[in-house]
Amino acid sequence: MIISSVILENITEFIGRFHPVLVHLPIGVLLVAALFQWLSSKEKYQSLSIAVSIALFWGMISAILSCISGYLLSNSGDYDGDLISNHQWFGIAVANISILAYGLNRRKKDNIWVTGLMVLLIIITGHLGGSITHGSDYLFKAFSNSDSNAITTKRIPIPDINEALVYNDVIRPILTAKCYKCHGPDKQKGKLRLDMPDLILKGGKGGLVLVGGKVDESELIKRILLAKDSDDHMPPLEQPQLTKSELDLLHWWVSSGADFNKKVNALVQTDKIKPVLLALQSEEVKEELKLSDVPAESVEIADAGAIKQLQERGIALTAVAQNSNYLFANFVAVEGLTEKDLQLLDPIRKQLIWLKLGDSNLKDQMLGSISALSSLTRLSLERTAITDQGIGQLKNLEKLQYLNLLGTKVSAKGLEQLKSLKELRQIFLFQTSIKPEEAEQLKKIFPKAMIDFGGYKLQFLESDTTELKDPKLK
Amino acid sequence: MKNEILIQRLLKEAEQAALQQHTRRHFLKESAMGFGALALGSLLGSCGTNSSEASSSLFDASNPLAPRSPMFPGKAKSVIYLHMAGAPSQLELFSYKPELAKLDGQDCPQSLLEGKKFAFIRGVPKMLGPQAKFKQYGQSGLWLSDNLPHLSTVADEIAMLNAVTTDQFNHAPAQLLMQTGSARLGRPSIGSWVTYGMGSENKNLPGFVVLTSGGNNPDAGKSVWGSGFLPSVYQGVQCRGEGDPVLFIKDPDGMDRDLRKASIDAINKINHDQYAEYQDPEILSRIAQYEMAYKMQISVPEVMNINDEPAYIHEMYGTEPGKTSFANNVLLARKLVEKGVRYIQLFDWGWDTHGNSASGSVDIGLVNKCRSVDKPITALILDLKQRGLLDETLIVWGAEFGRTPMQENREGKDMPYKGRDHHAGAFNMWMAGGGIKGGTSYGETDEIGYDIVSGKTEAFDIQATILNQLGFDHEKLTYESQGRPFRLTDVGGKVITDIIS
Repeated sequence: MIISSVILENITEFIGRFHPVLVHLPIGVLLVAALFQWLSSKEKYQSLSIAVSIALFWGMISAILSCISGYLLSNSGDYDGDLISNHQWFGIAVANISILAYGLNRRKKDNIWVTGLMVLLIIITGHLGGSITHGSDYLFKAFSNSDSNAITTKRIPIPDINEALVYNDVIRPILTAKCYKCHGPDKQKGKLRLDMPDLILKGGKGGLVLVGGKVDESELIKRILLAKDSDDHMPPLEQPQLTKSELDLLHWWVSSGADFNKKVNALVQTDKIKPVLLALQSEEVKEELKLSDVPAESVEIADAGAIKQLQERGIALTAVAQNSNYLFANFVAVEGLTEKDLQLLDPIRKQLIWLKLGDSNLKDQMLGSISALSSLTRLSLERTAITDQGIGQLKNLEKLQYLNLLGTKVSAKGLEQLKSLKELRQIFLFQTSIKPEEAEQLKKIFPKAMIDFGGYKLQFLESDTTELKDPKLK
Repeated sequence: MKNEILIQRLLKEAEQAALQQHTRRHFLKESAMGFGALALGSLLGSCGTNSSEASSSLFDASNPLAPRSPMFPGKAKSVIYLHMAGAPSQLELFSYKPELAKLDGQDCPQSLLEGKKFAFIRGVPKMLGPQAKFKQYGQSGLWLSDNLPHLSTVADEIAMLNAVTTDQFNHAPAQLLMQTGSARLGRPSIGSWVTYGMGSENKNLPGFVVLTSGGNNPDAGKSVWGSGFLPSVYQGVQCRGEGDPVLFIKDPDGMDRDLRKASIDAINKINHDQYAEYQDPEILSRIAQYEMAYKMQISVPEVMNINDEPAYIHEMYGTEPGKTSFANNVLLARKLVEKGVRYIQLFDWGWDTHGNSASGSVDIGLVNKCRSVDKPITALILDLKQRGLLDETLIVWGAEFGRTPMQENREGKDMPYKGRDHHAGAFNMWMAGGGIKGGTSYGETDEIGYDIVSGKTEAFDIQATILNQLGFDHEKLTYESQGRPFRLTDVGGKVITDIIS
């Protein structure tokens, strides 16, 4: 008896899983019925009126089947909440109105208002269903300004991390962002809800998911740590994954007991977790604040003629990646650089983001051509004849992140002319006229930059030049 | 008059050559091959080698080394791979195992020997405690031995792989596996795949340069930098430390630069004519090779010369111009990276420490080998850093396998010195620069460094990571050979994301 009820449950769930396929039939067929009904009112398409009845009939059948399968699917327990109940009632309304429309049609009393209402109900039901599957923000995501490629994610900073509540301020935002969609109020995949402490502790179909202090018994962590190609990996591959620091935080919380009420300073902070916690005080997620020298926005493809000219001159010119229009030019194999060569770069100034001119005979007066290359994020000018006289011309390269001036005559005064370049993250100044003592002053001008003065020395060790001898040979 | 006869003779020769292409035998041969190829092509086409699906070959015969874009913007643009041929002992360098010290001199437990095969250990060997002192360095607290005093100063630049493993315990196949993704001969080396994928940024220099030191080539021979089934233009170019960097690079006596140019132009013109007639892309490849060889006659001796490097650089690297040494090769590698060379492979021979001689022991020979590499490797990291090149140059340090926690007992007998046998099960490698997160480590081994506990890393994973840092998906960089696409990592490989910044 028990066995048969289990089988029955499995069968109903199996049938329920046909719902996502079946629902497309009433949508398509009933809309076609409505379209044909409208068209057949015109003389030219009168012959379509026979098809209306057939389409309405099969649309009605499929709408009823969708309702049944949908009901079975919702019983599987993975879903709950307002979205589901709205979808359910609208779906039933569609089925009913299709029955009405078919009945009217059989009596040759087609009613445009009934059909119109049916179309409207189909649209609403379809939208609600789509919201359940893809998330309620799916449709309008394109309008919201959250660019999925954005390098940095804005987050509300926590003013004082040590006074913050571990679960409420640190852990819950992670669960909200990465788990709620399938394990929240709208859906409960695997009968698991993670949006309230008692529901987390209750676990899901497979039992407990969280065992305080025991990471290796907490399915919540184990699933995330599984290899990405494993079927049980969470979140599923097509969903946004947890970042390294999110995982570290979750791991830290579970291993220190998974308490729901304590403050951050009440838990032991390992060396590993300290910087991750501190990063929560800043506005942007530190881990994702990485130097990205390829702009997120796209650019049109560069002029093929200009590219060809540059390549013929022996300049190594490539797209930074196969699916990108941004370009990288390396002059390493170019002999006898002239102003004219640099002017060749002008037609590609929108696309050119990385430029290497090291060891070339670049001079101050040629820097004017470079100042127009406003998309540059990386610029290497090492061992060229440029000086303080010319360097100021680079002050318009506002997107510059990397600047290599190694072995040039540029001094601190010269570099100060570039104070408008607020994006600079790396500046290389080995063997320039700039002294390491001037670092403090430069650090103020370029707050984001890592400034490298080089001149690293290795300790002299006697062992560097001596060898151990075989003691047996004495 | 004499000239006229010469011209007549040349014309006749040309005519003969042309006619030879049109003999009946040639015709039959060409057409038979042609039909055969046609038939084969359609046969293969029908058994699923879908040309549109398989990634198109990147090989452009007329300019095989033209720079090419990676699949996605890679962090690294060049790679310097330092391979310690012979396999140093991880237990005296990176793998801190205090428990092993306690077992020193005791018989190896039977459980460690069951079902295992060793290259030389027979019977029951004794355990051998670490022959070096360990300390933690840097903010990351990386454990390093006193054999590497310089490297310990840059511990935070390094990402240590603690649990590398291989399935080969002999040098040649293990080196092949590390360098080509197969323990058997015939596969292209990593550098060949990289230059096939990305070409070279400097048209005057080869894209893949090999430098060897330590008195010998690696055991697997030149196949570890071979191009396998890739076009031969992608094989590593071995440069010598002494004398001419490439043999016969100088023009012979009586041949000046202009005459050389004129003769190459003449050869190329004939080749162009041949190409016009046969449309064989290999001819274009040959033309490109002649032109490159001509340019290399100037550019290679220039870049391979370390005499002009300033004194502070020689002091930093511990280089001595005119000798063949690992230090000189490391400095050359840095120079080559500056010149846009894509892949520089170093092999240093002499790390095989079985305990059969003083130089082959873990407490004498290994120490001396470490002294010869510690300073230049550290200098390389710091020098690239101050030149703004460390982020775009991936440094890989490794060997073909590790060494046993047991003392070797060749043929069941005691050895004259302290040594360790080959150990495929667990060893260390490290990476730095090129978008690798310094101060990290990945994987762990058991308390005697015998087996892996977590973070297992195979040759394929290292290769996948190298390609990833350059901007390539190792599963998609393929080349069609023998009717199917091949890739460096065969059917394996996972990018080691834990060590990537």
